[in-house]
Amino acid sequence: MSTRQWLWSLRLGAMALLLSFSATSAEPAKQINSDACMKCHKRNGQMLGHHGQDAMKMTCSSCHGEKGDHPKKPNDLVVFGLNEASETSVQLQVCHKCHMPAKLSSQEWTHNVHAQKVACAACHKLHSPTDPMAEITPKVRSELCRNCHTGQQE
Amino acid sequence: MENSKRRFLKGTCALLAGASGATLLATVSASNEAKADPSVKYALIHDETKCIGCKACEVACRETNHVPEGVARLKIEQTGPYGEYPNQFYHFSRKSCQHCEDAPCVNVCPTGAAFIDKETGIVSVDAWKCVGCQYCIAACPYKIRFINPVTHAADKCDFCRETNLAQGKQPACVAACPTKALVFGNLKDPTSQVVQVLKANPTQRAKVDLGTRPKLFRIVAKSGEVAI
Ligand code: SF4
Ligand code: SF4
Ligand code: SF4
Repeated sequence: MSTRQWLWSLRLGAMALLLSFSATSAEPAKQINSDACMKCHKRNGQMLGHHGQDAMKMTCSSCHGEKGDHPKKPNDLVVFGLNEASETSVQLQVCHKCHMPAKLSSQEWTHNVHAQKVACAACHKLHSPTDPMAEITPKVRSELCRNCHTGQQE
Repeated sequence: MENSKRRFLKGTCALLAGASGATLLATVSASNEAKADPSVKYALIHDETKCIGCKACEVACRETNHVPEGVARLKIEQTGPYGEYPNQFYHFSRKSCQHCEDAPCVNVCPTGAAFIDKETGIVSVDAWKCVGCQYCIAACPYKIRFINPVTHAADKCDFCRETNLAQGKQPACVAACPTKALVFGNLKDPTSQVVQVLKANPTQRAKVDLGTRPKLFRIVAKSGEVAI
């Protein structure tokens, strides 16, 4: 094989690789993922889920709040989750900006009983391509309940 | 059909032939084994004040007893919401065999497939004897029996008699319940947890006026607020 041929096939290969990459991981191309925050949060900040859709015109700060003193601590950023996260009421306030309790209730009864007691992110994950709560199996669902409801209060 | 009828006849003949021997054997094994205690009467309590409606019990029952999709030995029925947002709550009640002491399903079964196990008081089904006539399904006042689409026999909760209980374990639903809302045990043992809980709490049973003497008890939730 001549060097030229070899170079060409290398170029073609590289292009194919790039193409397939952009095809399979079309998600990171979402607008939100070119947010300034991504300069540091490339690894843990990627927004692959529903909320990252360009049409929603959301930015990192839509949910997490303005940068403020971050990365110094303390700061006013909202951290979502169950552990080492912001106060439940603070988290809920953010989600409730768009998600009305009545609508949530009509979709899933467990929203009602956890209302204002448990943060949404205790069960839902927004950054992953799909929310683990979508199409959850009965088994996984009951195991999720068990994480908190352990009956150990007696 | 031919086949199963033949098996049934064969079984009956074998039973008759073995009957005299069996009585002998029974007396021998009873004297040998103090464990074969006929003074066992199993019962179950569903504490609705602890139930969170997670349905881990349903899932565990299906897995352990190989109950196919579309039918169920156990259902958690939910009503609500009650109260106002954000303090709403639901009620959950368990729908499954009540293990009646005077069981209509057993009384109407023409083949003896529906029976009460004398050793344990468990109302059970001998699938191979069942001809699928569905008399039991019509007779059960609690409407919990069904035809298993795989075995084509009547099916229902048997307190895991053939699965977990046979292996010395608690019934699958009881073991799976995260909040310990289900209590299973021997009514005739005054030290059993089931007796302790029954003594300490007001309980209810369904349709007692029918004289079926059910052994599924419920502790009824008053407020509905569930502690974690
Ligand atoms: S609840 Fe129905 S199936 Fe169970 S013992 Fe009573 S009559 Fe039979
Ligand atoms: S006792 Fe066993 S058979 Fe009955 S509902 Fe529970 S898991 Fe199912
Ligand atoms: S597993 Fe326990 S808490 Fe969950 S639904 Fe069944 S009885 Fe209720």
